[in-house]
Amino acid sequence: MTVPDHHDHDHAHPGVTKDEEPYGYYATLELAVRELLIEAGLITTDEHRRQIEILDSRSPVLGAKVVARAWTDPEFKKRLLADGSAACEELGITMYDGAHLIVHENTDQVHNMVVCTLCSCYPRPVLGLPPDWYKNKQYRARAVKEPRAVLKEFGTTIPDEVSIHVHDSNANMRYLILPLRPAGTEHLTEEELAGLVTRDAMIGVTVVKSSLVQTNRGQA
Amino acid sequence: MSSTEGLISHLPNDIGGKDADAINMEEHSMLPWEKRCHALLDVLATHQIVNTEEKRRGVENLGSEIIGNLTYYERWIVSAVNILFEKRILTPDQIANKTKEISERK
Amino acid sequence: MNVEGLGVDLAKSSSPAFLVNDLVKIKNKTPVGHYRTPFYVRGKTGRIERILDEFINPEEEAYGKNVGSKVRLYRVSFAQQELWPEYHSASLDQLQIEISEHWLEPA
Repeated sequence: MTVPDHHDHDHAHPGVTKDEEPYGYYATLELAVRELLIEAGLITTDEHRRQIEILDSRSPVLGAKVVARAWTDPEFKKRLLADGSAACEELGITMYDGAHLIVHENTDQVHNMVVCTLCSCYPRPVLGLPPDWYKNKQYRARAVKEPRAVLKEFGTTIPDEVSIHVHDSNANMRYLILPLRPAGTEHLTEEELAGLVTRDAMIGVTVVKSSLVQTNRGQA
Repeated sequence: MSSTEGLISHLPNDIGGKDADAINMEEHSMLPWEKRCHALLDVLATHQIVNTEEKRRGVENLGSEIIGNLTYYERWIVSAVNILFEKRILTPDQIANKTKEISERK
Repeated sequence: MNVEGLGVDLAKSSSPAFLVNDLVKIKNKTPVGHYRTPFYVRGKTGRIERILDEFINPEEEAYGKNVGSKVRLYRVSFAQQELWPEYHSASLDQLQIEISEHWLEPA
């Protein structure tokens, strides 16, 4: 009989801080399942560790990079709107969960926002993990029925003449919103532009604001 | 006609359009075990040991009382355990013995 | 994978029953168990916005079906007034959602 591997209990995984001891009921259950499946040869410790590293490596910084590229490279933007997954892969952002990414572009006529009413489907490879409010009842119930009221709670007012398209991410597609590039950013570098793009703007509950700090770029 | 029909035909997570309160913007950082749980379910989905749709169905099957009282990842791990039992990959006794052994570790 | 316009790769999939801009109605049926077609669109009329790939029927995938025949997925667009009677009547706001072919009928 093999000795169970105590590694997971005694040492922190890379990217995971050590828990308080002892494990609660659910943490114990997770470890039990994982160890049993490893013992059965169905998964490996390495796979699990690698997946934690992947999760740690994904954040809205990636999405912001995609947005800034689309803002500055019209041909990339065309490819992004035609096939979001392929365009992200161009920038080295792999769709590790097989996500089919559709990118919706905000325009002067249309503002887009994303919700998953049934659970919490979210473009994790390009935005990381979703915030609690995205997974909770209030947003999921109300975003489809009263998007303008919900947007106001995020401090966002969309003029009446701009239509709102709410995307319920209920099946196999995942959605990323390409926000409008704010005015007054013509002289910013792609990296500076990426720094303006927030997670919430890529979900569609806020808009991107130009930096409050005046840059001297382009001025004599 | 049964008045309980809605409990069967309308899934507890199907809440689009229902009345609800103002959005709570508070965010909590993921607990370490939650990240381990998320990674585990990702690995299980890649191998199709527990696919994503099965996990969702498992959460729905917990029923409103459990869903209302467990946190997001607590629901995931219980769902996964149930699916693994259903598919005869693990047994309840294995889980009982392993969790006991884990809690007795120093 | 997205499909541009009407150009569906017929060589690798069966023909979609619906085309972009077709008016469609979401069937008002009630399965027992898992589904991904929420109640708020059932019985409602919308328009095909995009034809997507075929995928395993999620209702069956939820019970362990990982391979086999697939169903065509579409993105359907609804006027918000169609879904919510109290929605502002002059608004052009839309709701867009993914619906499998077996949930659609011509409107």
